[in-house]
Amino acid sequence: MRWIDKLRMGVRTLLRRKAEERELDAELRFHLEHQVAQNLAAGMTPSEARRAALIDFGGVEQMKEDCRDMRKANWIEDLLQDLRYAARMLASSTGFTAVAVLTLALGIGANTAIFSVVDAVLLKPLPFRQPENVVALWETETAPGSFPLNGMDYLDWREHNKTFESMSLYSWPNSANVSANDTSEGAVIVRTQANFFSQLGVQAQTGRTFAEGEDQNGGSHVVILSDGFWKKQFGARQDIVGGTLRLNGEPYTVIGVMPVWYRMQATANLWIPLDMAKDKLGSRGNHQWRAIGRVKNGVTIAQARADLHAIAQGLEKQYPGNNKNVDAIVKPMKEDLIGDFQSQVLILFGAVALVLLIACANVANLLLARSTSRRREIAVRNALGAGRGRLVRQMLTESILLSLVGGLLGVVIAYLGATILRSVLPATIPQPNPITVGVLPLLFTLLVSLFVGVLFGFAPAMQSSAVDSTEALKPKGMAGDNASKRGQWLRDVLVVSEIALSLALLIGAGLLLRTFANLRATDTGVRGDGVLTASVLLPAKKYQTFEHGRSFYLQLLDKLQTSPGIQAAAITTKLPMRGGNNGYIKIPGQQEEEMTGPLVENTSVRGDYFKAFRIPLLAGREFQADDHELTTKCLREYLAAKTEPERTAVGKKYVLPAIINQTMARSFWSKQDAVGKVFESFVLFRVIGVVGDVKQQELRSAAMPEAYYPLEWDLTSPNSPYAIVVQGAGTGEALTGTIRGAVRSLDDGLAVIGVRTMPQIIAESMLDTQYEAVLLGTMAVLALILAAVGTYGVMSYIVGRRTNEIGIRMALGAARPRIVGMVLRQAGALVLTGIVVGLLGAAAGARLMQGLLVGVKPVDPLTYGSVAGLLAGVALLACFLPVRRAMRVDPMVALRYE
Amino acid sequence: MGKPTDLVQGTLDLLILKTLALEPMHGWAISHRIRAVSKEVLQVNQGALYPALHRLEQNGWIKAEWGESENNRKAKYYSLTRAGRKYMEKEEANWERLSAAIGLVLKIN
Repeated sequence: MRWIDKLRMGVRTLLRRKAEERELDAELRFHLEHQVAQNLAAGMTPSEARRAALIDFGGVEQMKEDCRDMRKANWIEDLLQDLRYAARMLASSTGFTAVAVLTLALGIGANTAIFSVVDAVLLKPLPFRQPENVVALWETETAPGSFPLNGMDYLDWREHNKTFESMSLYSWPNSANVSANDTSEGAVIVRTQANFFSQLGVQAQTGRTFAEGEDQNGGSHVVILSDGFWKKQFGARQDIVGGTLRLNGEPYTVIGVMPVWYRMQATANLWIPLDMAKDKLGSRGNHQWRAIGRVKNGVTIAQARADLHAIAQGLEKQYPGNNKNVDAIVKPMKEDLIGDFQSQVLILFGAVALVLLIACANVANLLLARSTSRRREIAVRNALGAGRGRLVRQMLTESILLSLVGGLLGVVIAYLGATILRSVLPATIPQPNPITVGVLPLLFTLLVSLFVGVLFGFAPAMQSSAVDSTEALKPKGMAGDNASKRGQWLRDVLVVSEIALSLALLIGAGLLLRTFANLRATDTGVRGDGVLTASVLLPAKKYQTFEHGRSFYLQLLDKLQTSPGIQAAAITTKLPMRGGNNGYIKIPGQQEEEMTGPLVENTSVRGDYFKAFRIPLLAGREFQADDHELTTKCLREYLAAKTEPERTAVGKKYVLPAIINQTMARSFWSKQDAVGKVFESFVLFRVIGVVGDVKQQELRSAAMPEAYYPLEWDLTSPNSPYAIVVQGAGTGEALTGTIRGAVRSLDDGLAVIGVRTMPQIIAESMLDTQYEAVLLGTMAVLALILAAVGTYGVMSYIVGRRTNEIGIRMALGAARPRIVGMVLRQAGALVLTGIVVGLLGAAAGARLMQGLLVGVKPVDPLTYGSVAGLLAGVALLACFLPVRRAMRVDPMVALRYE
Repeated sequence: MGKPTDLVQGTLDLLILKTLALEPMHGWAISHRIRAVSKEVLQVNQGALYPALHRLEQNGWIKAEWGESENNRKAKYYSLTRAGRKYMEKEEANWERLSAAIGLVLKIN
C-alpha cells in the first residue's frame, strides 16, 4: 500500500471513529437479519430463527472489539498516544524539562538567527526585478583588481553593446552640506543616472524615483531621501515629498523616499541625478565612476563579458595612450555586493552549528541520567508486551517533543537575535536583503528541531530500551548495574565531544581576538591621540573659483592655528586610513609609459599636517610658505591660460615641490636618496622630503606609495570636501567647538560635518573584525557555559553513583586527597581526551578562517595552549564541586545511600 | 474455526480474497459462498470473518462500499483492490506450493 493510502486510512479511522462504530453496528445487524431471514425461509418460527441466528453468530461485543482491534494498528493513533504520554512525562518533571528546553532553545535560536543572516545575504535573490540579469561593471587597469569606470568608456560601451538592455552610471558616496529649515547637516550623497532605480526595478516607498531626462541639462534639482535620513531628519513626515532642502546651498525638491530595505548604497542619505553631459563625466584615463547593467533576457554573463571585451579592445586601439590594458569587468551583482563576506557568514554558521551540537550533547546527557531513574517504568512496559522498537519510538517521541518545544522558544530567541544583529552589524557588511526571521528560517528551525530531537534522543533511547526486565524489577539495592555500565561509555563519549567542540569554538574566537588585538596594535604610522578631524564643504554658488577656495581655507587655517589650545592645525584632501585617490606617475628617464608601476596615493596638505599626526620626517624638509606660493603662482597662470597649448606650456614651465612616503621612495628610487628626484604627475614635481608611511586603506594591508602636494594643487575645484585636522590638549568637545567657531566666523551658513577623533577613524576601520570577534566570542562563551554545565552534570552523576563507595573508603580511613585524586583521575582522562580531540579538530578547522586572521597563524601555540588551559580549568572545577560535596557526606549516610 | 492463528488467518484471508475476486459481496454472502463452494466443509465463523474483513480493508487489499442488497436493505459490500489481487495471486501460489509439498510428504507412506 502506498504511504498516501495508509495516511488516508489512518486519518479516516481517526476522524470517523463514531461513523465507523455506527457502520460496524449496521454491518453486523445486517448479517444477523439476513441469517434470520434465511432461517425463516428454512421453516423455523420467528423466535427460533432469531435464537439460532444469535447462537450461530457468537458474542457480538467480542467480535466488535476484535474488529476495532484490527483497525487500531494505526500509527497515527499510536503517535497521538505517544505524544500525550510524552507531554505528561515532560510536565511531571519540570526541572529536567525546563533545563533541556532552555538549552535547546538557546542552541536552536542562535542557529535560526544566524541562518536568517545566511538567508538574507546568500540565499535570497537580490530584491530587484529579474535580479539574475543585473550586473556590476568595472574596468581593469594595469594593476590587478577592479577599478572604477571611465565616463567616456562607459558611453562607448553603452552605445556599441548588443547584449545589454540598459546600463546606468552612478557616483561613489560623497559628503554634502544639507540644510532644511534652519539647521545645517552633513549628509552622504550619491549621484545616479536617471534610469538607475527603474533599471533595478526598485520603487520609492513614498513619492517616486528619478524620471527619464532628469539627468540632462545639468541635472534636475530633485532629491530622493533614504528611509533612515527621512526618519531622523524629518521625523518620517508624510508631506516631505514636494518639500525643499538645500544641498550645498542650492534648493532641491524632494521627490521620494526609498524603502527601508533598500541597502544598495548603504551609506547614502540622499540621491540626486547625475549630470550626464559628456564634458561632466571626465576625460579618458580618468576613472571615477561606478555602473550597473541589465543584460537582455537569455544573455549569459559570459556573453556580456565577451561583448564588452570586444568593445574595450576597439577602444584600446583607438586610444592607445589612455586605454592601454583597459578591459571591461562584468560581475553578477550578488557576487559584487557580497564579495568575501560569504566565507565570514559561513564560518559563523559553522560556529553556531557547533554550539547546537554541544547543546544536544547536554540534553542527551540529561536524558541518559533520567533513563536510569526510569528503568523500572521501562521494564514494566517491556514486561507488559511493549517491544524494543515500540519503546524506542515512545522515547524518540518524547525527545522530539522536547526539541520542538525548544524550537518554538528558539524562534522567540531568534527574533530577538535578528533584531540585535540588524542593529549591530556595521554598514560595511553587505545586507542586500534585510535580516528577518522569514519563511525559510522558520522552516529551517522546524527541520533542525526534528533533526536534533532524533540526534540527542536516539542514543539514550537505544541504550535505555535495552533493559533486562528481571534485573530492573528487582528491589533497589539488589539490582545489578549492567544497564548503567553500558550507559557509561555513551556518557563518556558525550563529555569528550562536548569538551572537544567547545575547545574548537573557543580557539576560533581566540584567534579572532588575537587578530583584533594585532590590528589594534598595528602601527598606522600616525599618533592619533588628541587629534580631531572634521570636514567642510563649500557650496558652489558662493565659492566658485580657486581664489574663493584658497582664501577661505587660508583664513580658516590661520584662525585655527591662532586659537587657544590648538598645537597643530592643517587642511587636507585626505585623512590617514582613508584612501582611494590614486593614480600613476611617470619618472623621466626611467619609464617610457605613464600607466605602469605601482599606483600612488595623492594627498594635498597645508599647515602642520605631519606635526599634528606626528608623522616622522625621514629626509629633506617639510613644505614652507614659498612652496605654497610657487604652486599658487603656477595654478593662477594655468587657470588664466585660454588654450590647450598655452596650458601645456604653463605645465612645462614649473617644477613643483612634493613630499613622498618611505614606500614611494623605496619603490621608485630603491636605495638612492630620493630627495631631489623628479617625477611627473600632470606636471613635474621635485621630491623635497621623505616622511614615514601612513596606512591608507585597511589596517591589514600594507601602506601604498603616497605623495603629498601643497594644498593649492587640489583647490581648482574648491567644492569637494576638505578635511580639517587639529591637534591639541583639550577634550573632543572643546576642539570641535574651536573648529565650529572658526568656520562660523568665516561663513555662518556652513556646516561642520563628519567630526571624528582619529582613534574613532581607526576603530571604524576595524569594525568588521570587531563584530566577527564579538559574534564568535559570544558563541564560544555560550559553548563554554554549556560544556561546563554538561561536564558538571556528568561528574555529579558519576560521583553520585560512587557516594556509597566513597563512604566506605572514608569509613575505612582513606585520606581525602586520595579520594579526590581517584575521582579526578577518572574525570581527567575524559577532559584530556576531549582537549586532544578538540585541538586536532581546531587545527583542521582553523585553516578555513585563514583569510580572516592577521598576524596570527591558524595553528597558534599561544592561543591553543591558553584556551586548552582555560577549558581544563573549567572542566576540573566542574568535577571538583561534586567530589567535595560527596566527601562532606557523613559516612553513615553515604553507606546507606542508594 | 476458532480464534485465528497465523496459519489459519492467512488461509482465511486467501479464501476471502478468492471469493471476492468473482464479484463484490457483503459479509454474509462471503461466508455463505465459502461454505457452499467447499460443500459445507469450511464453515467460516462470523467472529473470525468480520475482524478479517476489517484487517484486509485496513491493509488496503479490499475496499468497502455501502450498497443495496438483494432484499433492498443497505449492506456493506467488499471488493478486491488491485493491491489485493496481487497479494491474492502471491498467496495462492504460496498455498499451492505448500499443499503440493504436504501432499508429497503424505504420499511417502
